[in-house]
Amino acid sequence: MTDAPILLVEDRLDDVLLTRRAFAKAGLGDRLLVLSDGEECLAALLPAVGAPRLSPAFVLLDINLPKIGGLEVLRHIRADGRTRHIPVIVLTTSAERRDIRDSYRFGANSFVRKPVSYAEFTETVRVLSAYWLAVNQPCPPDPACP
Amino acid sequence: MLHRRTVVASILVVVISACTVDLVLSPAVGCCLSRRGSSSAVPPIAETLLLSCIALAAILAAVRFRETGARTSRRLDEAREEAERLLKVIDNTSAVIYLRDSSGRYLLVNRQYEELFAIRRKDIVGLTDHDLFPPAMADDFRANDLKALAHGSPIQMEEIAPHADGPHTYITIKYPIADATGRAYAICGISTDITELKRAEERARQLNTELEQRVRDRTAELEASTRELDSFAYSVSHDLRAPLRAVAGFSEVLLEDYADRLDKDGQEYLNRVLAATDRMGGLIDDLLDLSRAARVELARSPVDLSRLSEHVVAELRAAEPDREGGVEIRVEPELKAFGDPALLRLVLQNLIGNAWKFTAKKPDARIEIGSAERDGEQVFFVRDNGAGFDMRYVDKLFVPFQRVHSFHEFAGSGIGLAIVWRIIARHGGRVWAQGEPGLGAAFHFTLPARADAGEASREAV
Repeated sequence: MTDAPILLVEDRLDDVLLTRRAFAKAGLGDRLLVLSDGEECLAALLPAVGAPRLSPAFVLLDINLPKIGGLEVLRHIRADGRTRHIPVIVLTTSAERRDIRDSYRFGANSFVRKPVSYAEFTETVRVLSAYWLAVNQPCPPDPACP
Repeated sequence: MLHRRTVVASILVVVISACTVDLVLSPAVGCCLSRRGSSSAVPPIAETLLLSCIALAAILAAVRFRETGARTSRRLDEAREEAERLLKVIDNTSAVIYLRDSSGRYLLVNRQYEELFAIRRKDIVGLTDHDLFPPAMADDFRANDLKALAHGSPIQMEEIAPHADGPHTYITIKYPIADATGRAYAICGISTDITELKRAEERARQLNTELEQRVRDRTAELEASTRELDSFAYSVSHDLRAPLRAVAGFSEVLLEDYADRLDKDGQEYLNRVLAATDRMGGLIDDLLDLSRAARVELARSPVDLSRLSEHVVAELRAAEPDREGGVEIRVEPELKAFGDPALLRLVLQNLIGNAWKFTAKKPDARIEIGSAERDGEQVFFVRDNGAGFDMRYVDKLFVPFQRVHSFHEFAGSGIGLAIVWRIIARHGGRVWAQGEPGLGAAFHFTLPARADAGEASREAV
């Protein structure tokens, strides 16, 4: 298991605080990095040439984000060889068929609806982290890709 | 007979007179005949016979002439009668009938024509349409005449003719008329005024157009309100759930992290907050289901209701593994239907969920999911022996937020059956309920077979 950060892209402070605590409960509090909109997220993952690039273990992405929406962010991540391999879990309030369908269509690895029950959410975070950090490790980036 | 007798009598007269002539005039006639050059003397009896024959021939000719004259006049009478009869036929119809020769000159028109275009039959003979109608109209009539001539058999067309109250539309049949040699020398036209029909048709067309426009307007309105509902449901999903999640989340955090600083009452109140957020979460989910049941496009496919039911039952058992008294649940195998699997799952979740809930206080709870055939139609049912309901309130069951049981008896949002009703209705099926207080309830529903599924199923993109 690498020490790569876990990136949470979320603009609601309530959700940030609760998610942070859930990760702390799972023993991963110090690895969580929070960015609050799509623009910041893309700037960190796909910076200008020469700038330091963030390479997270996985991304928890909200759909409803200011500036650049979550699905648009996802599309950019999948379109670029540098970020294509990063697991992205869409973590959102919506359970709309349309959102679920679009998420997978744009290349999400998983779609998780935030439950109202916090106990359930804490458990979800624990299971998700275990899975994406230990069980399903992504392949390293393909050097052939630009 | 009379003629024959006349002839015989004439012959007798001729013979007798010939004999008399012979007696009186024979020398003179004999001379005459002998002078005409016959060297041999003509015997007097032959002379007599010859003369008789000439006379007879003359008489016969006269008789025949008289006879022919009588027959001719009789034939003329008959022809006149025939013509009058035919004229009555063409004059006593509401259709306009006319006969024109191959170069377009009128030969005959009927009375309707005379009255309509104020011209007498005898005056029109020899005129053409160009003498009677505006040039463009006359050209049209002529063109149609020529078409009928070329075609050789009746053809039908619409023609416009001027009337006092404006142009009238006629449906016209035209056909060529041939002489004894088979050469077409005239065109007969029969025109029926269909102006009223045309006007009615035009009115119907206008009404149709208006109706179509209204349908388009209404559809646009409906689509707009559907979009509104859609965005409403979407914002309910996000905007109501997000703060609710915060309330629930921080309440749980307080209970976990600050339990030592809260007394028993404080903890109890926080638990009540949590229970309320839980119910509200369920309510929001139900509302979303209800709006989704109304607006999502049906994606129909064959559905195994038995398997769906087994899943729902498994979920219920997993959520409440140590339910007191247990429940005996029987699912009939091979319940096949055709519909939207996600929505039908929602139907079963609600119906079986209700049965599960309302049998909670029964020691020997039983739930049965099956089907029966009624009037050639497959009827699915979910039946239980739970709390049941009074049939007096059966109409309230499927109305949103109408509850038959108090919340304290059986918790619920009062939306579940409204969702069921809406989904089944959208599939073109029916749903109804039977119940008896304390003995149980049965919910029945039908789903149209694939062939007569009413609403077009469009696959979601």
